Amino acid sequence: MTYVLNRLLSVILTLFLITLVTFAVTNILPGDVAMMIMGTQSNPEALAGLRQSLGLNDPILVQYAHWVGGLLSGDWGNSLIFKKPILELLSQKIVASAVLVVMSMGIALALAIPLGVWAAVHRDKWQDTVSSSSALLGVSLPDFFWGIVMILVFARWLGWFPSSGFVDPSLDFWGTLQHAFLPALALGLGLMAHLTRMTRSTMTGILSQEFIRVARAKGLTERTVIWRYALANAIGPVITIAGLQIGYLFGSIIVMESLFGYTGMGWLTYQALLNRDLPLIQDTVFVIAGVVMLTNLAVDLLYVVIDPRIRLG
Amino acid sequence: MKRRDFLRSSTALLGSGIFIGTSLPIAAWAEDAPVSGGTLIWGHSETTQNLDMHQTGTASSGRVLQNIHSSIVTVDKDLNVIPGLCESFEVAADGLSYTFKLRPNVKFHNGATMTSADVKYSFERCKDPATGAVNFEVFNNVAAIETPDDLTVIIKMNAINAPFLSRLSENGAGVIMPVDSGPTQGTNPMGAGPFKFVSYEVGTVVKMARHEEYWDGPAFLDAVEAREITEPTTRLTGLRTGELHMINDIPLDRVGELQADAAVQVKTWFPLNFDFINMNHTYEPFQNPKVRVAFDMIIDKEALMQGALWGQGATTPSPSFPTSAAYNKDLKQRPQDIEGAKAMLADAGYPEGSLNIVFKATTNYPYHIETAQILVEWFKAAGVNLTIEQLTWADWLSQCWVDKDYQMTMMNFFSLWESDFLYYSVWNSTGAYNYRAINDPIIDDLTAKARITVDDAARADIYKQVQQQIWAESHDIILWFRNGTIGAQPAVMGLDTVVHPNGSNLNFHKVWIKA
Amino acid sequence: MKRFKTTKGMIGIVLLTLIALIAIFGPMVIPPDAATAMDMRARRAPPSLTHLFGTDQLGRDLLFRVILGTRTSLEIAVSAVLMSVILGLPLGLISGYFGKWIDNVLMRFVDTLLAFPALLLALTISAVLGPNIQNTIIAIGVAFTPYLARIIRGEALRVAQMPYVEAARSSGTTDAMIMWRHVLPNILPAVIVQATISLAFAILAEAGLSFLGLGTQPPAASWGLMIQASRDQLDIAPWTAVVPGLAVALTVLGLNMFGDVLRDILDPRSK
Repeated sequence: MTYVLNRLLSVILTLFLITLVTFAVTNILPGDVAMMIMGTQSNPEALAGLRQSLGLNDPILVQYAHWVGGLLSGDWGNSLIFKKPILELLSQKIVASAVLVVMSMGIALALAIPLGVWAAVHRDKWQDTVSSSSALLGVSLPDFFWGIVMILVFARWLGWFPSSGFVDPSLDFWGTLQHAFLPALALGLGLMAHLTRMTRSTMTGILSQEFIRVARAKGLTERTVIWRYALANAIGPVITIAGLQIGYLFGSIIVMESLFGYTGMGWLTYQALLNRDLPLIQDTVFVIAGVVMLTNLAVDLLYVVIDPRIRLG
Repeated sequence: MKRRDFLRSSTALLGSGIFIGTSLPIAAWAEDAPVSGGTLIWGHSETTQNLDMHQTGTASSGRVLQNIHSSIVTVDKDLNVIPGLCESFEVAADGLSYTFKLRPNVKFHNGATMTSADVKYSFERCKDPATGAVNFEVFNNVAAIETPDDLTVIIKMNAINAPFLSRLSENGAGVIMPVDSGPTQGTNPMGAGPFKFVSYEVGTVVKMARHEEYWDGPAFLDAVEAREITEPTTRLTGLRTGELHMINDIPLDRVGELQADAAVQVKTWFPLNFDFINMNHTYEPFQNPKVRVAFDMIIDKEALMQGALWGQGATTPSPSFPTSAAYNKDLKQRPQDIEGAKAMLADAGYPEGSLNIVFKATTNYPYHIETAQILVEWFKAAGVNLTIEQLTWADWLSQCWVDKDYQMTMMNFFSLWESDFLYYSVWNSTGAYNYRAINDPIIDDLTAKARITVDDAARADIYKQVQQQIWAESHDIILWFRNGTIGAQPAVMGLDTVVHPNGSNLNFHKVWIKA
Repeated sequence: MKRFKTTKGMIGIVLLTLIALIAIFGPMVIPPDAATAMDMRARRAPPSLTHLFGTDQLGRDLLFRVILGTRTSLEIAVSAVLMSVILGLPLGLISGYFGKWIDNVLMRFVDTLLAFPALLLALTISAVLGPNIQNTIIAIGVAFTPYLARIIRGEALRVAQMPYVEAARSSGTTDAMIMWRHVLPNILPAVIVQATISLAFAILAEAGLSFLGLGTQPPAASWGLMIQASRDQLDIAPWTAVVPGLAVALTVLGLNMFGDVLRDILDPRSK
């Protein structure tokens, strides 16, 4: 219980640190949103006017206090480029990203687990090499590259999936899944390598254990032994790794969402960054960091449940 | 006619309308009578940001809003100012007052009828610094806006401002919005244009529906959906799979391939914009005109255009809109002469290998990066070491545009066809867009004189002298006009009406879809 | 079984040696300027006898560019990983060895960095320091540090509880001495294995940064820059992607095979 409490406290501390760093980093960024709004039509006078009306001239500390105060009180401010309340934007975009993240993780697991099991069962034979090499293919090229391959193959040449866009799931859930599939597949390929490796190594360990030999001796079919007994015991660490990869995934969606015009959190963050929309950068980064922290927390707590020894650590 | 030949001949023909190339023969669509109905799905190349017409400086939002708003005056294809929401306009002989007679029964999207109060409101909103309007300075010389009756507006000036009317023909300044609609323009833009704003899902789609009571007759299309697809490959794929009716901004390297494809229509026109290479006049070597001229001589503009634009443009020594009276036809670009440039640089005190220049190019325009890479090779041959630094758009704006912290860069401007706007802001020493810190008294005098010269021919003549001076001193190296491009399904009709005479705005009023 | 592992390791070593040789000697062997020379009449030319690997959108020879790019890409990857080891090692070591509040403070710092989109850091670094190779190395190095620090911390935590460390402590050896003599040698294998795998990610990260214009500045060549430039022409000039893509893929494969074998040799627990 103390451990859980400690972890919770440290999450809050980290979130506080995140606000500090985000704020500092965003304020170092050269350029400001007024320049971005006016582009090459700005002149010093007009810029000054726009800055004033956007409230960019407040002292830094006042801006920071205002931001953190707003976060706590539920007033998350307005996006300066989109002229909309940030909470409204976030609530729309986080759904899109949640669908994408869950789907790509699902695809990655669906590919990685059978591949990893196959490799473990045929350890050090050719199947093992095929498995690890094909899993490595995904991480051999950057994910934006796979994204374009997906668009060309599945949208342009085969015509199976839409090439871009996002559909609100409350209007057309099937449409949402169709639009999410290609970016999810490209992301899933990138996640697969690590998961396959993890499945293979835990499965190898489990397969050499006593209870597996006993199960086999009892005359159970090889299939039952592997999928019911061995995999059930090996899945824990794989899920843990999957949880940790959620953080990595939130980084990857930035490029992937922009590529597919699939406008979720990643896209929103990227737009905010490109346009120097500081309130929007700060809020999106805070939310992403928060989600990553919470998944890490969940993973840690899961660990405690699985492996009680960790409490000593 | 081959693409290159077409561009050659059109350069020679400068002065007679905007140049449009369509890959389908005109007869293919001229036979059909337009029909109403249907939703046009447009793959838009950029993200729409602020929907407030006054506060919009970016072309991306402007391209959409052009369909929602109408201006008090507009321009015909030869860029003459003609009535828009007004029936007629009159300039007083002393140039100090403008009288507009408004069209009766112009309906806004909210059903209200436009009156002089709306005009006064819109112009005052634009002028007010608190609005943050991009074009507020258009109204700098306005002393008073009078509204003697519902359909008459009189604008009193405190000084002559010759370009005033033509500046009003752009939506950013001349747009008329209903009284008190200002606070909601950013979320629910409302005007008197051919389409009503329906919804905007940030980053995904802007939906617009036909405005039945549009003053110039209702549009054919029921609705327009502007889907925002910023990645060129993705956008092109959408057109090819039939998910999109139309896309703007075909990647330049793919235009030729699409023109050969019978399954799509391709429309190109110029100028979308002009590009020029900038030298920072506060950087010591560039204070010497010989260095600037020598740099101009290093560049083969035609080869550079073929290389960076894949032939989708036309070289020009003058940035003036090619159809405008001010375009100086007597100017010729300096031909490439690397040996001559070397000698001139040595003469200026910079022998071979002594100049190391950083060229800042923005990734916002991928063809600028290609341009820079080609330049590096030529400059190497001339003994100048050029290093490229790629900057994001935000970094370019802050370093080059605002802080003037660069040695060499390049930029483009959408066709600033209005000469005063173009030459005063870009080349006058006090101009708002003089980010090269150019300080040439001859240009300053000429641009100031043009502002108070009411006679159009005399004004055009002054601007020709300005072009001559820019070229002679090589203040900037003016490269080319770049083509605009649209790709569409064969069923999309009336594509030739889409592009505004200014070359950058798109309007779907007369577009229709063949069943 | 033993033999197969050696084969796998051999493949890895051969691949890596080959790539290292290309990186070191390639740029000396190819004619000067060959990688930037343009031929506008042969833009996007498919592989042929004149251009064995074809040309890119500016008519530059892809064979020469991929050779030149090998050095740039490896230079960036190796330096970035080295930097993250130099930063992450003391962080993780001290945190894991001392535990308690020191661990808590340092790990909160690491968690903060971990929770950040690397893109934000990269954009900030490039915007503030300017885009060039050194700053690309800094951006990747900083982004990788927290991962490495976490792994090293875990290892240090494990080793610090070993009986021989306890023994050294009770015999009055200073903490610095224990870390240097007992902890460091025991965590080094894990660090080396992790660094090997990180190299592969660093090569990809450079490609990702090129997406933003940070990274190698044209007309210089790097694998990442080449892949990034190929993305708009994948369908009409696939060789522009396949050439650098294959270079990255082979390197990643080599590093992973080598890393696996290294793990088996260095880390007794995986036996």
